[in-house]
Amino acid sequence: MGEMVVILFKSLIIGTIIGFPLGAGAARMFHAPKSQSMGAFRTIGEMNACQGDRASHFSFGFGFFFNAWASTVGAGAFTQDVAHRIIPNWSAASVLRKGKTLEETMHNPVKMSIAGAIIGAIVIGFLSITTASIPAGLRDVALEVLAPAADWLINLAMPVIFWLAALDAGKRSGFWGTIFGGLAHIIMGNAVPGVVLGILIGKGVDDSGWNRVTKTLMTAIIILFTLSAFFREIDIQLIKSLNLSVPHWLDSLHDLINPK
Amino acid sequence: MNQKHDQIYKRNFWYADWSFPIFVALFSAGVFAGTHMYYIYKVGAFNEVAIVALLEAGIQGSGYGAAAAFGASFLFARVLEGGLVGVLDIGGSILTGVGIGIPALLLGAGITLPIENFFVSLLVGLIIGAIIGVIVISIRKFTVGQANSTFGSDVMMGAGNSSGRFLGPLIIISAATASIPVGIGSTIGGAIFYLWNKPVAGGAILGAMALGVFFPI
Repeated sequence: MGEMVVILFKSLIIGTIIGFPLGAGAARMFHAPKSQSMGAFRTIGEMNACQGDRASHFSFGFGFFFNAWASTVGAGAFTQDVAHRIIPNWSAASVLRKGKTLEETMHNPVKMSIAGAIIGAIVIGFLSITTASIPAGLRDVALEVLAPAADWLINLAMPVIFWLAALDAGKRSGFWGTIFGGLAHIIMGNAVPGVVLGILIGKGVDDSGWNRVTKTLMTAIIILFTLSAFFREIDIQLIKSLNLSVPHWLDSLHDLINPK
Repeated sequence: MNQKHDQIYKRNFWYADWSFPIFVALFSAGVFAGTHMYYIYKVGAFNEVAIVALLEAGIQGSGYGAAAAFGASFLFARVLEGGLVGVLDIGGSILTGVGIGIPALLLGAGITLPIENFFVSLLVGLIIGAIIGVIVISIRKFTVGQANSTFGSDVMMGAGNSSGRFLGPLIIISAATASIPVGIGSTIGGAIFYLWNKPVAGGAILGAMALGVFFPI
């Protein structure tokens, strides 16, 4: 029971401090680019789509709320929709009034942030508490089922999906994605980071050429790979798999940096 | 519409550039503390099941590399884009970057305090958010009106979304491997959610749990 109170307490704080800036950020989106805002383009689009109608804003958020709830109960993940859709749209629904213009309500950061803070606390508090009150045995079933699925997803499905996306995104992304993906699986045990970095470099160079930013990025990636390889002793494993003897100085260098 | 006097956009707390880092800091503190909640109580991560699974894999001991690189590259791409277009995408930058990528980097380096302690997590999130906010505003100041690259974040977002879709069938396969009743529950749950136009993964988990009540694994 004590843990429940702690979870509720933490959730209310978290909900309040994410809801406040979300409301303000969403209202500021209607003033971009004059005002730097935070949110997402899809959020503006969706909020414009139900503009001015309280019921539409509410039911739009509600559709996602149900899904967020299932995901929280099953896996402890609120989903991004809580921040992108539920809190902004429910805040809008709560500040809209008949006879008031949108500038006075949904586009007003003061009102939207206060509404956001209250709705954030309620939504986050509700999601965490209902999840925490589920008996431990039930959550074990969920974890038991989810853990192998997540494992397959991360080790097989995701590398392939990202890899195919890189290949389809153009010659440069495909090339660097393949190079870094293969190396990343050797060095880090998972290809996703490499493929993602390959896309980053490939699209960066496609869009703006080999400028200072892309060159710095490339250098950073090479340093990252070299250091990870060294710390995971990939160099020694490589020499051993080639049936060569590991030079003494390399062994002592590893011992120096990573004493056993 | 929105014909406010220019002065308001420069000075007023609610509209001006100088207050932007404060908003980002608060939001990022909440999201980072949410990851703390997930780490301790297994509820509270502000992200999709598939992306939280990346972090969970690290917690279970299969390495934080995937979560760290995925989150950190999103953070990089979105911060750059945020300053250029005037809208900071909170999904890539804060929810995935600060909520998954940075905790994975810290945990991978063996630094657990910011994720284990609630108040430290709030403080660390606040500082990270403030730094991100300042960087976005500086990019905005230095690159006024310049079009530039988004570094393929649309490609990654697309791939991220399709990975989420893979999870549904994978959960049903996993449930069916675990036991016959749980597998049946998961199959029916997934099918019902599909008919309701909801993600199959959610229904598959709930269905497995519902049958798990009567037939524990």
